[in-house]
Amino acid sequence: MNRRDFFKQTTLFSIGGLLIPSAFIESCRKEALFDEINYGGKVIIIGAGAAGLYAAYILKSKGINFQILEASSKYGGRLGKLTGFANFPIDLGAQWLHGQNNIVADLTRKSRTQITLDDSTEKYWFNNQLVTSLPKDILSLFNREDNLPDTSFKDFALQEGFGNEYKYIVEGIAGDSGAAASQISAYWKVKEEENWNSGDDDFKFQESYFDLIDKEIASSVNDKILLNTIVSKIDYSESQIIITDANANTYTADKVIVTVPISILKSGDIQFVPALPVDKTVAFSKIGMGAGMKVFLKFSNTFFDQNIIGGTICAAYADDSIGKAQSDNVLLAFVMGEQAEYLTALGSDAAITTALLQELDLMYNGQASATFIASHVQNWTSNPFVKGAYSYSTVGMGDARRIATQSISKKLYFAGEAMNINGHHQTVHGAVETGYREVINILNDLNK
Amino acid sequence: MRAILLFCFLIIGCSRSSAQELRIEASYEYLYSVQLDKAIQTYNFSRPFLAEKQPLLVNGIGTSISYVFKNANHFKHGISLTYTYFRSSAENDFFNNTLNLHFAKIGYILHYGNTEKWKGFYSDLTFSATSSIILRNVNGEPFVYDETSSKALGIGGQLQLKFGHYFHLKNTSYLSPFISFGYTPYLYCPNDEAVINQTKGVVGDNWTSTATGQVGVAFHIRKPTND
Repeated sequence: MNRRDFFKQTTLFSIGGLLIPSAFIESCRKEALFDEINYGGKVIIIGAGAAGLYAAYILKSKGINFQILEASSKYGGRLGKLTGFANFPIDLGAQWLHGQNNIVADLTRKSRTQITLDDSTEKYWFNNQLVTSLPKDILSLFNREDNLPDTSFKDFALQEGFGNEYKYIVEGIAGDSGAAASQISAYWKVKEEENWNSGDDDFKFQESYFDLIDKEIASSVNDKILLNTIVSKIDYSESQIIITDANANTYTADKVIVTVPISILKSGDIQFVPALPVDKTVAFSKIGMGAGMKVFLKFSNTFFDQNIIGGTICAAYADDSIGKAQSDNVLLAFVMGEQAEYLTALGSDAAITTALLQELDLMYNGQASATFIASHVQNWTSNPFVKGAYSYSTVGMGDARRIATQSISKKLYFAGEAMNINGHHQTVHGAVETGYREVINILNDLNK
Repeated sequence: MRAILLFCFLIIGCSRSSAQELRIEASYEYLYSVQLDKAIQTYNFSRPFLAEKQPLLVNGIGTSISYVFKNANHFKHGISLTYTYFRSSAENDFFNNTLNLHFAKIGYILHYGNTEKWKGFYSDLTFSATSSIILRNVNGEPFVYDETSSKALGIGGQLQLKFGHYFHLKNTSYLSPFISFGYTPYLYCPNDEAVINQTKGVVGDNWTSTATGQVGVAFHIRKPTND
């Protein structure tokens, strides 16, 4: 064999030796998650919030038959928009995009949606005066990653020497996580968020969060939404799942994705036949869902600071015009936990507004009442299809969220912000992730 | 950087003492990683709003420099420094997403070859410490959030088997086409999913394994020896 032949053979051997195994691997290798999606069954999605809408959006993109049953008269779940109150759209529900490293942020980039970093500053209502900083650093207390006990924020703060003067500061911190300080676990909050990778910066929408989901997602599936359809029973005892609504109408499906808030699952508003396994219902009960409301107060001038933490009536106020194109003077009272329960018990929007104005008058020497124009109360707790703000990590929670998420009999699937087990619960992008995750789970189960 | 400097010192040291052969390689590399595939597949599945799908990280280019030490018998040993680069880019309206995957490896080579029976042939078994980094670019710029570039680091170990054949060029220089197969059983890369799919724990574990195939050509400079 001469050198030329040898070189030729060696080259052929080398290329062939690589390409044959490569071709074999390539033939096994899939560009898509699923080779082919030929599912002729029907999927019914209960709830038209972010998770339900996104699950529907994915199903539509894969050509799978679906329908959405929504209890209320509008879609969006805990996303909502109020127009006409101010010269910019008001976010009635979720309003911050939490971080830029997530699927919703990708959607904002693709759709060129205007978002602005919320770098507003805070003042604290502490010992009956507004201060720019606190004597002791309590903010980092709950962000510690080690030696956190499974006790409530309230008890943990007391253990660490933060006395009664910090009570409403702690309520404000807990309220940011949708809970009363006496309910949320210092340990499980950090533990559950250890996979958080979305980013720490918060962004506000120039329009509204609802607009983004409405224009980019809901608009392609809203013809499949049945509004005012209150699901009362899901019978999955037979091969076909039968869903019954409050008007005794029935709907059949092969798979059901339940995306209702955890409060609805906890309260038993939906009857499952057969009953859900005990470990499932116990898991539901361990996931917290606190009271929450947003009150928008419009004034003739801006006498207030960008954020006020530690009020005794409302532990967190925020200037709602930040990040908006227009600048009417709207202050958001972000009321959570026991404070939301207290204000709800006052019985009327007028009483709630009065209580908040009195507190602001105390902080700002009567300027609130003097410049007050109008208010709008969005009480998510009194909404019968929501019954609260968002899920939180309770004391003794354990892996409740993981158990709650597991599908049942390859028929029932669970999505929604409370069902996010990768640290993104409480967020819209977390809900969206569960929406596509459950479609993947359905398709995986079909392929098994 | 320290690793590169250390390697350079090793090369100089070897050259001045007992090193026999300097090798510079260029290659095409094919990558197969279940975990990376799954992360990209999930990214594509979950984003119907992106018409152009993200290609899998498959095709890469690599370069390597290595030194084989002098030894009287057909078994020799050496060291190598390897770099490979993979890219996946999808261009959509207003949203161009690019993933850049870099591997750097420092390896120990067991070299066998040029026997009477298999004149000109050689084989290398290389054990490498592998490090990887995945970087994300959005619209041509490094993707930065919280004032930090989006990146995922990985570390693991690779076993690589290489076959080649020397062709004498002139004096002490040779050229050899080669083929190689690599396997990284464990590459610890906890943030790969966070960069690719922007989630953690949805797609899978904190580690992956990779298999690679390479074809390439190596340029050799040898000190004159008896073999």
